[in-house]
Amino acid sequence: MARLNDDAQWIMLMAFIICIALFFLALIINESTLVGQTTAEGVLDFSKSDIQDLRSEILRIKDVEYTHGPYDPLTINGTRNATIQDIETIGIQRKSSLMQYSIDDTTFITTIHFNNGVTQYDETL
Amino acid sequence: MVNESGQLYTIEGFAAALLLVFTIYLILSATNILTPGDTHITDMQLEQLGNDALAMMDTPTQYVETGNAYTAKQSDLEKYIMSPTNANLAEFNSTLSDYLNVKNISRDSLHYNAIVWYRNDVTGSIGSYQFSRSLPAITGREHFVRVTRLVTLSGLPIVPPPDPIFSNPPPAIPPNPPNPTMDNRPQTVLLDVTLWRD
Repeated sequence: MARLNDDAQWIMLMAFIICIALFFLALIINESTLVGQTTAEGVLDFSKSDIQDLRSEILRIKDVEYTHGPYDPLTINGTRNATIQDIETIGIQRKSSLMQYSIDDTTFITTIHFNNGVTQYDETL
Repeated sequence: MVNESGQLYTIEGFAAALLLVFTIYLILSATNILTPGDTHITDMQLEQLGNDALAMMDTPTQYVETGNAYTAKQSDLEKYIMSPTNANLAEFNSTLSDYLNVKNISRDSLHYNAIVWYRNDVTGSIGSYQFSRSLPAITGREHFVRVTRLVTLSGLPIVPPPDPIFSNPPPAIPPNPPNPTMDNRPQTVLLDVTLWRD
């Protein structure tokens, strides 16, 4: 029986090295897509724009009703309660989030409440 | 006894390994594999863009000391929804399309469909009417995102008789009278804009 030929040992070893290198490369690529997804999901989940929108709209209502006086022959209370209902109902049905606000008649202190199940936001102005 | 006759094989192996790894790297970096999870990224960008565009349109563009409390610091968006004349609707369409599509060199291909949601105070239910849209119209098969903006109105939107200049309205802007169930009172409505890339 001839001597065992071990010439190919190196080639086998290199094949293993290549396999391991490819495996790690695939792992890294796999991770990179996950990073992009979670980042984007985080941005989408956080309702920054909704809160900014609600806030600016309430400040607009407050500005028109209190700084400049009522802009309609309707009583200020009736008007405001209807507007509060508007925001709350439309928010629940179309934005699936609770959006409420209140304005004190004498102190003009305004409270804003926002909750969409993930993010809750309260502010007193 | 260590045999050194495999040295050449070793070098060859390393060279092959490097070549393979480098080739795989080139191939993978040249193609963009879009998995279902990746659409979050483009959705996020589209949503940010849409929200920013609506916020820009809802920023007051004038300041008048005297006069009507509501129109003193009115934003363009409030103006468009309050009086949806053909001229105002055309302005809304061109402004929103420009905000969404203007790029450095060419134009992007974003389309939108805008609906107004309101609440009826008597029944307490909400209703909607088509406000504006770009062409081609939405089919429902698009992969779209929703952006919204609350808009305060001082009453029922006033639709004046057709403007003779715009007697043939541009096809992108169909005439949209508000739904008859809408109240005539100061109210807050929701502008619901659907965005998609063609």
